[in-house]
Amino acid sequence: MEKSTDALLYSQVRSGNKEALESLYDRYEKILFSFLYKMTGERDLAEEALQEVFIKVWRGKGEYDESKGKFTSWLFRMAQNAAVDLIRKQKKPLVPMDEVAEMESGEPAVETLAEWQDKKEQVASAVSALSEEQQTIINLFYFKGHTHEAIADLCGIPLGTVKSRIRLALKKLKKTLQAMQERGAFDE
Amino acid sequence: MNNANCERLVDYLNAMLSEEEEKEFEAHLAGCEDCREIVEVTGELPYLAEAVEPPVEMKARILANVFEEEEKPAAAPSPKSLPMAAPKKAPKRNWLTPLLAAILLLSLLGNLYALMQNSGQQEVAEEAVLRSVALQPSEEFGGNATAAIVNEEETLNVVVQAGELEELTGTEVYQVWLLKDGQPIPTGAFTPNGSGEGAAVYKLNGSIEDWDTIAITKEPQGGNETPAGEIVLSSEI
Repeated sequence: MEKSTDALLYSQVRSGNKEALESLYDRYEKILFSFLYKMTGERDLAEEALQEVFIKVWRGKGEYDESKGKFTSWLFRMAQNAAVDLIRKQKKPLVPMDEVAEMESGEPAVETLAEWQDKKEQVASAVSALSEEQQTIINLFYFKGHTHEAIADLCGIPLGTVKSRIRLALKKLKKTLQAMQERGAFDE
Repeated sequence: MNNANCERLVDYLNAMLSEEEEKEFEAHLAGCEDCREIVEVTGELPYLAEAVEPPVEMKARILANVFEEEEKPAAAPSPKSLPMAAPKKAPKRNWLTPLLAAILLLSLLGNLYALMQNSGQQEVAEEAVLRSVALQPSEEFGGNATAAIVNEEETLNVVVQAGELEELTGTEVYQVWLLKDGQPIPTGAFTPNGSGEGAAVYKLNGSIEDWDTIAITKEPQGGNETPAGEIVLSSEI
């Protein structure tokens, strides 16, 4: 995933270059599909969300510029939002606490890209440094797209503190990742 | 957390803000490192996903839908008359109408040509639109255009129909180019009428496959062999 060329490709997409969009698609299809599948649990929904993302990219909705941070952060947030919308439309029953999947996973699939795999180990390791409750909160909030009310319910915490706990969990994740990178344990 | 805007971070991440609120929050993000860092770190979470093999046909499906979705709104300008000739009354109007008007014009020109040649072979030609594309405006250009490659009596014609064009000054023209691997040839020019519409027809030598891109530039004057002006509209063919 050559980050430096993402912004260039994106600017070509903005001037109507279909090949550039296809290149972005090729570059991110697998990670996005895998991520969206993780969120929705259904291949059809993952595809629908993925299509939504690329329609938005092509139309220039919520335009990206470097003030919004990394291109991937921006792209992934759009994907996450698209999946959350679909999940909410499906009105799926809430996942009971004991069925909430562990965020960390076991063996990687065979074809996981090397860079993805590195990232994954790094992020999983940082996640494991969080408290169990923080891990659950991030999972419910980010991957399951649950509302604050649902998170309060599922985790048995007061509604008023959900937002600040999400924020705290993410902040700790950031600090942990940063510390790991500074220690040089992983290449960025 | 240093101000009320920071309170919105979680809603921003979870798609709970309106478009307006989202813009406001993004303005806040530019100046709030704390929030920005948290937004950034969520961008790392997707890497936790297990790799799943996407369906083989998905790419074709999605790209077809993406480009189709895009062309619908772009191709809905109200069709008015061509600068040269056009049917006065258009019945049901849809996005194909301007294109059909241009093809009709082409057909008229073709008939005229045939008459002048006195060929007498006025067999009704099977006209077929082999390909039609909506050209994409470059940044800060408001116009739109469609291009069709039309097969008429074994001759290929490029028919370009444009609307909502900016006015030209002096000797400027809108110049159409076909490109292969970045090498352009001029394929017709036009100046828009008072309603900002214009059209050009060009007889193509060779086949569609000889070209990969069509573009329109705003040239300082007509007759340029290579583009001197900026590209205002373009598309792959």
